[in-house]
Amino acid sequence: MDFTKLLPEDCVCLIISLTSPRDALRLALVSPALRSIADSDAVWERFLPCDYQKNISGSSSPSLLSWAKKDLYFYLSSHPILIENGTMSFQLEKETGKKCYMLGARALSIIWGETPEYWNWTDHPDSRFSEVAELRLVWWLDVKGKIETRKLSPGTNYAAYLVFKLRRRRYGFRQRTVGVHVNMEGTTSGEVRSVSLDYPQNVPQQAQERGDGWMEIEMGEFLNECGDDGTVEFCLREIDCNYFKSGLIIEGIEVRPKNVDRSTKWTNCKIHYHSTACPSGDARLKMEFVKS
Amino acid sequence: MSEVDMAIIKPELMKSYIWLQTADGSIQQVEQEVAMFCPMICHEVIQKSMGSSKNNAISLPQRVNPAMLSLILDYCRFHQVSGRSNKERKSFDERFIRMDTKRLCELTSAADSLQLKPLVDLTSRALARIIEGKSPEEIREIFHLPDDLTEEEKLEPLKNTTDDPRIRLLNRLYAKKRKELKEREKLKNVEVEEERVDDRSVDDLLSFINGDSRDSKGIKTSKSKKKNRRRKDQQKSTSGSEATKNHNKEPNGLNSVCRSAEVGQKIQPSFGATSNLQDAEDDIFANKNEFDDADIDDEIDPALKEKLDREVEDFRRILNSNWPERMQEILSFGQERKPAHFSLNGNGSIRSTDDFAMRILPQLASQPGQF
Repeated sequence: MDFTKLLPEDCVCLIISLTSPRDALRLALVSPALRSIADSDAVWERFLPCDYQKNISGSSSPSLLSWAKKDLYFYLSSHPILIENGTMSFQLEKETGKKCYMLGARALSIIWGETPEYWNWTDHPDSRFSEVAELRLVWWLDVKGKIETRKLSPGTNYAAYLVFKLRRRRYGFRQRTVGVHVNMEGTTSGEVRSVSLDYPQNVPQQAQERGDGWMEIEMGEFLNECGDDGTVEFCLREIDCNYFKSGLIIEGIEVRPKNVDRSTKWTNCKIHYHSTACPSGDARLKMEFVKS
Repeated sequence: MSEVDMAIIKPELMKSYIWLQTADGSIQQVEQEVAMFCPMICHEVIQKSMGSSKNNAISLPQRVNPAMLSLILDYCRFHQVSGRSNKERKSFDERFIRMDTKRLCELTSAADSLQLKPLVDLTSRALARIIEGKSPEEIREIFHLPDDLTEEEKLEPLKNTTDDPRIRLLNRLYAKKRKELKEREKLKNVEVEEERVDDRSVDDLLSFINGDSRDSKGIKTSKSKKKNRRRKDQQKSTSGSEATKNHNKEPNGLNSVCRSAEVGQKIQPSFGATSNLQDAEDDIFANKNEFDDADIDDEIDPALKEKLDREVEDFRRILNSNWPERMQEILSFGQERKPAHFSLNGNGSIRSTDDFAMRILPQLASQPGQF
């Protein structure tokens, strides 16, 4: 006897929506009756984030709202849509439906960004945004971005990634590190990581290829518990003025859920204290985490 | 003792009860605060003043049988007590839902009809946990669902919104398979013996063919579907004796050409023999060289046909066992594999079906939204 006949349809909808998008796909292959429920808008609307309509209607493609919810889910998980006047992009994480954002270069605050001698704004064929920031030459590299936690999915562990490229002629990055950190408002400052954007061949690389033509490097992670009003700040900094930096192209900073199994385990920790001779007289603490 | 005496000695005995009647007619009384935990009962009592006596019992929805009612009342009895901690409630819930799947479904249904949302959520979550991560077969087993997706439905073509050539190829495979299934259906149904009209000998035809050899590589089979189908139908009914007779003679397509030629003669007597034979030849060679659309002709050498059948069976086995869900999964949830080059053997068959599965899946993985 078919047990599912014991259940009313909206209970089946509820049960399916408590599983995962992947399970809903599998259920559609079980029987024709289940297929019609598993493919229905009632189920897939629950996999979409609760405020998806707001993001879509303010985006570059508002017509998506008329789509069937299942198609919309898969579209959004593989195509980022532009929001906030084209300065940010929004998409979904495929397995869970959690929200992902990329802050475009124009949404970041880049020190000296408006001075053409230092930074150049151009369009780039690989970029989803209309403009990327190209570093011509600077001594004080300082890039910040922030996002309100209420935009993000609650109860999720997020990580921020700097999305960038290095030109063939770059200076100041080879064999040198930059400091990155993620700071959640109201909590103690996140640790500053020293990462190398331009790695020498024999060191396990820290920057990864993204597959869309850009590189990315993790800046830090944070837990978004309930997403109440607050902001998270992301920071890239290298202000040692003994050498200049040049040749970095920034597309933006991506914020997406972090899978626990993909995280690298930092087992060894070497702590160095440096005081950098900088015009402003900053004494800086540099901590190096070495993966063993 | 009189009722009044009872009331003085044990006041708690005089607490109020609600009378409930299940669909099978049995009536029972339940403590008021327990029963009122269910919104539906609460509504009946307050809005309609029901349940105060045996004659006035509240009729519970059909989905609530006595066994389910007692479970629900256990749940209500525990949770309506306000002094319990969250931890206590949680551990009660964990123990409470330990029952077989059928009872869980019945309980969900019953709780839903009584509008007892917390219990519906609890049981739904339990059922969701059961379903998570299972393959369609396993789900059918757990819920005793019949495997009533027909062969045809399992081989439904995928929507190819991006016009992906790989999905097109897959749909063609499905179409071929569907066609085979249809053929088999027809074989079962069609009993008609066709009269053999043609009286030209096999040798005559053979010599004719040999004298008119053609290189038909690259000839497109843009033949009419009707012609093929009619030929096929007729061929099937005569194939019995023919197949055994010709099987051992020529290894390659010639004997089948003969057969089709004879058939061709039957249906189009007004046409020149030449065109029919050449048509048949074209079809056969094209069938071997191209992996073309749904119109693939089945008039090929039995040995080759057996080989193809075996391959398709293997492929079908994979399709039926874990392909559908894997396909859908992988199409939508791309896996990290390098794309492989897909290649065909000269005779149009796939090199190896497992190989095929391993190769085509990664390519399909990168395509979004196939629904």
